[in-house]
Amino acid sequence: MAEVHIIGQIVGASGFPRNSLFCKWGIHTGGAWKLLSGLREGQTQVDHPQLDDVAYWSHPIDVHFATKGLQGWPKLHVQVWHQDSFGRSELYGYGFCHLPSSPGWHMLTCTTWQPLGSWQERLSQLFVGGGPQLLQSDLIYTGADRYRLQTIAAGTVHLELAVLLRHFARYGVEC
Amino acid sequence: MAAAAAGPTVFLLMVNGQIESAQFPEYDELYCKYCFVYGHDWAPTAGLEEGISQITSKNRDAQQTLVWNFPIDITFKSTNPYGWPQIVLSVYGPDIFGNDVVRGYGAVHVPFTPGSHRRTIPMFVPESTSKLQKLTSWLMGRRPEFTDPKVVAQGEGREVTTVRSQGFVTISFNVVTKDMKKLGYDVSSTDMQNPSIVSLTDGIQKY
Repeated sequence: MAEVHIIGQIVGASGFPRNSLFCKWGIHTGGAWKLLSGLREGQTQVDHPQLDDVAYWSHPIDVHFATKGLQGWPKLHVQVWHQDSFGRSELYGYGFCHLPSSPGWHMLTCTTWQPLGSWQERLSQLFVGGGPQLLQSDLIYTGADRYRLQTIAAGTVHLELAVLLRHFARYGVEC
Repeated sequence: MAAAAAGPTVFLLMVNGQIESAQFPEYDELYCKYCFVYGHDWAPTAGLEEGISQITSKNRDAQQTLVWNFPIDITFKSTNPYGWPQIVLSVYGPDIFGNDVVRGYGAVHVPFTPGSHRRTIPMFVPESTSKLQKLTSWLMGRRPEFTDPKVVAQGEGREVTTVRSQGFVTISFNVVTKDMKKLGYDVSSTDMQNPSIVSLTDGIQKY
């Protein structure tokens, strides 16, 4: 079987209305992929940046997959949350990106979006905060049921990942 | 000769470089510790796994850079890229009472591709989670620290920590790898552009 290593960091996030952000992340793969070692999902620290408007997480990722097919190449999905001074969390953005298929070091940006409620919900969001959230989190990385959703742009998540492939050339796969 | 005919089972990663400089707008007179964190399959074969730098002060010009110019030189061997080494940095400096307190933790993976690389690492300190702890740490003049700086290289248990990022450290690396391609790993896309070379070396390895 061919092997894929994905090693790197979720560096941080920028472009969100407030800082004190944290991120829940996960890696979704197709059925032919098997996780040999490493963590498939996790949650970062909360950062209060002092210097600029970038929240830094420096969250390490190190996963090792074995695969029998190319379908369902790994996708990384993120949820960015804001934590206020009382410790309450509120959703700031959903996003996903495909992990690069070519070996080497990649700097990636993952754009994010937020579900938009009705005007009544938006009005109450203006005063009390909060906002609509997805009930099924698989909507973040699938395209099937998105058409019923109305969303608004949110900030960007920054990633630095290296992709190492093993034995792809043996099966004639060009990445 | 028999081992050579069977092909290599380990690959080597040689890293050298330096902890060049830092940007900490609020602090001065800082020193830096480094150590490496790596997986079970990895072992250092030569060089120093940890080090501690001199105490440096800011240049008086507008740049306000702290310069360490501190050398790193280490070689690892491994059978599996999982657990690829990370360098963990912790920066310390005196507070107003002259006690050494932490001014930042940070970590980055050693670069994967051969060649020279520069990385700028965000540095952060943990914060007290409760208002009471914030008050007592302010009164006692002690700020929260990690008992083991190596936690910043781990992905588990991070959700309970709140941090404050307040500086950057710049490191330059030179990386050389040995036998990664022979073990079947593709580290950069240029390897794949000419698959005939890969299969040719595979052929040499068999005979």
